[in-house]
Formats: sequence, C-alpha cells, structure tokens
Amino acid sequence: MLQWKKQKGAYSRDDSLYSEKDGSVYLELNHISFSYPGCSKPALTDINLSFRQEGITAVIGPNGCGKTTLTKVMCGILRPGSGEVRLQGQCLKEFRLAQVGRRIGYVFQNPGQQLFCSTVEEEIGFGLTNRGEEPALVKEKVDFYLNYFELSPHRKAFPLHLSYGEKQRVAIAAVLAGEPGFLILDEPTVGLDNFRKSLLLKILRKVAELARGVVFVSHDAGFIDQAAERVITLENGQVQCDSMRR
Amino acid sequence: MAIKLDPRTKLVITLGITSLAIFYDNPVKLLILLLCAAGLLPVFGVDFKRLACSIKPYLFLLLILFVVQVVFTPGGDTLLAWGPLRLAGTRGLVLGSTVVLRLLIVIAAGILLTTSNSRDFISGLVQWKIPYEIAFMVSVTIRFLPVFKDECVNVVTAVQLRGVEFKRVEWGKKIDLFRCLFMPLVYGALIKAQELSIAMETRGFKAYPRRTYLRQLSLKTADYISMTAVLTMVLLLMGLEISLV
Repeated sequence: MLQWKKQKGAYSRDDSLYSEKDGSVYLELNHISFSYPGCSKPALTDINLSFRQEGITAVIGPNGCGKTTLTKVMCGILRPGSGEVRLQGQCLKEFRLAQVGRRIGYVFQNPGQQLFCSTVEEEIGFGLTNRGEEPALVKEKVDFYLNYFELSPHRKAFPLHLSYGEKQRVAIAAVLAGEPGFLILDEPTVGLDNFRKSLLLKILRKVAELARGVVFVSHDAGFIDQAAERVITLENGQVQCDSMRR
Repeated sequence: MAIKLDPRTKLVITLGITSLAIFYDNPVKLLILLLCAAGLLPVFGVDFKRLACSIKPYLFLLLILFVVQVVFTPGGDTLLAWGPLRLAGTRGLVLGSTVVLRLLIVIAAGILLTTSNSRDFISGLVQWKIPYEIAFMVSVTIRFLPVFKDECVNVVTAVQLRGVEFKRVEWGKKIDLFRCLFMPLVYGALIKAQELSIAMETRGFKAYPRRTYLRQLSLKTADYISMTAVLTMVLLLMGLEISLV
C-alpha cells in the first residue's frame, strides 16, 4: 500500500517507503508545476504522484482546481512548466504523443473532441486498424465493444450525430478497444444513465483486474464510492489528500 | 506603455500595410515593410514573443510555399541543378521570397486587430454605417478563429492518442487520415453556426430594426493623425512605385 506524508503544505511521496516497489511504478509525476500562457496563477503546483498498473484511482476537487490539467499533463498533451513525468521509468519527453497513446488511453471531458470517423464502428476500430492489426481481430473487438456498450444499433451512424451519452460511450469504447496499459478518463459518467454507469463501472473493474491502472476524474460521488480504491483530492492546483479506500 | 487607438484606426493601419504588401513585388521592399509592421506591434503592446508564436504554426506552410515557388518557377539564371534537372533559379527565389514575406506581413498586420475586443470592432464599424449584420459576422469570425484553431489541435491530439503517427502512415492511407481530421472540424463549425443562430434568435437578435449602444466610440486626435499619416504614406508609396515602373 502507498504511504504518504505531508511535506511543505502538500502531500509528497515518501521515497524511503516507496523505493522498494519503485520498479512497478508505471506513471510518475515529480514536482510537476504547470501554468497556462497568460495566467499568473499556476494551474498545478509541485505535484508528486505515482501510479501503478493496478487499481482504480479517482481525482476529485472543485471546478477549476486543475483536475483536467493534471490528466492532460499525465498523458503528455500538456508539457509541464517544471518537474518531470516518467512513463515506465522513461521521461515522457522522450515519447511521441502516438507512443504515449499506445500506452495510455485518454478519454476527453468532451467526447465530441475525440470522435473523427464517419461511422461508430470505424471510430472504435480506428486505432487498431491504423496500428496494423488483423481485420478479423479488429472486427471481433469492435463487435464486442459495440455489444457491451449497447451501440450495435448505431454501428453505421455518424458519431457526431449521436446524443451526448451515446458519444461518451463511443469515446470510451474507442479508447478501450486499443487496450492501453493505463487508462485516464476525464469525467466519464457525465451524460450516462445509471445502467450505463454500472456497465462502465463493470468494465473499469475488469480493466483494473487485467493489471491496467485506471485514473478517472469525477464529481459523481456515488460512482467514486463504488469504483475508486484510491482518491486524490486536488485544491488550487495542489494535492490536498491522497488516500487509499480499500 | 502601449498606445491606445480606436479599433477603426487599427483597421485602417492593417488595411494600409496589407495593401502595400499586395502592391509590392520586390522582396527587399517587402522585407522593409515587414520590419516596419513588426516594429509597429510593440507600440500597441504586442511583444515579439507573441508575434513569433503567431508565425510558428505557419512556418511549415511557408516553407512548402517557398520550395514550390523556387522549384517550379521557370526563368532566370539557374542556381542549383541536378544533372539536366533544374532545382532552383533566380526568378523562383525572388518569387518564393515575395510570397513568404507577403504572408508574414499579413500575419503581423492581422495581430494588430487582436489588440481590440470584438465588441469594440462591431461598435466602430456600425458607427461607420456598416450594417450591423455584416459587422457582427466579422466579429464572430474573429471570435471563433481561436476556437477553430483549438479544435484543430484537439482532433490532431485525439488521433495521435489512438496511437497513430502521422509521419509513419503510408501516403495512400494519409488521405483517409486527413478526411478524419477535416470532417469533425467542418461538421463542428456547422453545428456551432447552427447553435449560435438559435442562441441569437432566443436573445432577440434583430427583434427591433434599430439598435442602440451603451458605449459610443469616438475618434480622438491621435486616431485622426494616425489614419491621415498611414493613408498619406500608403498613397505616396503606391504613387512612387507606379511612377518608377
């Protein structure tokens, strides 16, 4: 279990306790700070976090506290102003975004931002097809995720014509189909009804069981209670609390 | 300390600079004009860092334009050849430099317009008797350009995050990939236009034939001096160019 102690107003990793299992750390953030251009107030300040390829972690906090910025820094969409992100022990700067994409699946806050194909099935199979997977395997996975997220009736539909909740399901399915080693979801439950939330919970647990870490940002207290094993609370761009629940 | 001028004055300055950029055909004159335009920006509170940031996304496009002009423009002395194949000539070099400098001037002059907010632009244009609908369309275009740029970045990021490397995709598949990049942008723009029109209708756009404004812009002495100076200089330079030809 991770152990944390408070240092200089923010929670930082206790290196002496952590070093034994350092080899299994998948994603590591060391003293990360980030400011948006033209903003005097930093969005993130001295963030120190580590993630293994296991369990489900929730990132919570009030609006504008830096949750989405943190997830974008974690997968290399945003470059930190200072500090270092390490993926599988290597500095994230050494990876191209596509290389990060093969290791970390990222579901955007707004699903419309990540849908770009002309049909739902093409959208789900896009990553696999472009990585040169066998068509039969692509079809098998696409069929599975279409059925799992109850998207089969929309197989040939234009993704951007779907409702918000349906787009959300397509975006999640498209990322899951790539079977990344680590999954980051920004507000995945927005627009989903209770039944679809339970389906999402089930698949996140399944992903976590397959030794793949999951991090999600959410305001959905019920979903966090059911899903999260670890909860990171952000406030004013700083980690206020990092606790294990189970 | 940045100088504060009426948005209409900035529009006149921008039009003056871009007109000269179109009028001139000589790279040396265009370079001088570019330096003047770039030198003008700090006066309006725009630093060179912002200018560099604005130009950076277009560098690749500018390079391609330059290479195409240099390689495919016939005439002039040969500067570089590979066996019987001519790769670069003097005329191509001049034309390539002209095109690139012209675009850089347009970008630099365009930045000047971003130093006023869109509401002031509408107000200024309407006070110049330009129909409100047209002024509003101009302001909406200016307002949504950064949003469109952000959406371009988002789509490219989303495609890359699915593990696709643009540089390594075969040429045949690249066309399909570009379709993926453009479709959400075009569709998104149409949806935004539709949603914006509904939002405007619900807020009573054109509910009354005559609009009134809380804030009225007024041209000050500095504006009149700037506009007169720019117009006089542009006309003089154009006249001089014509008389030299």
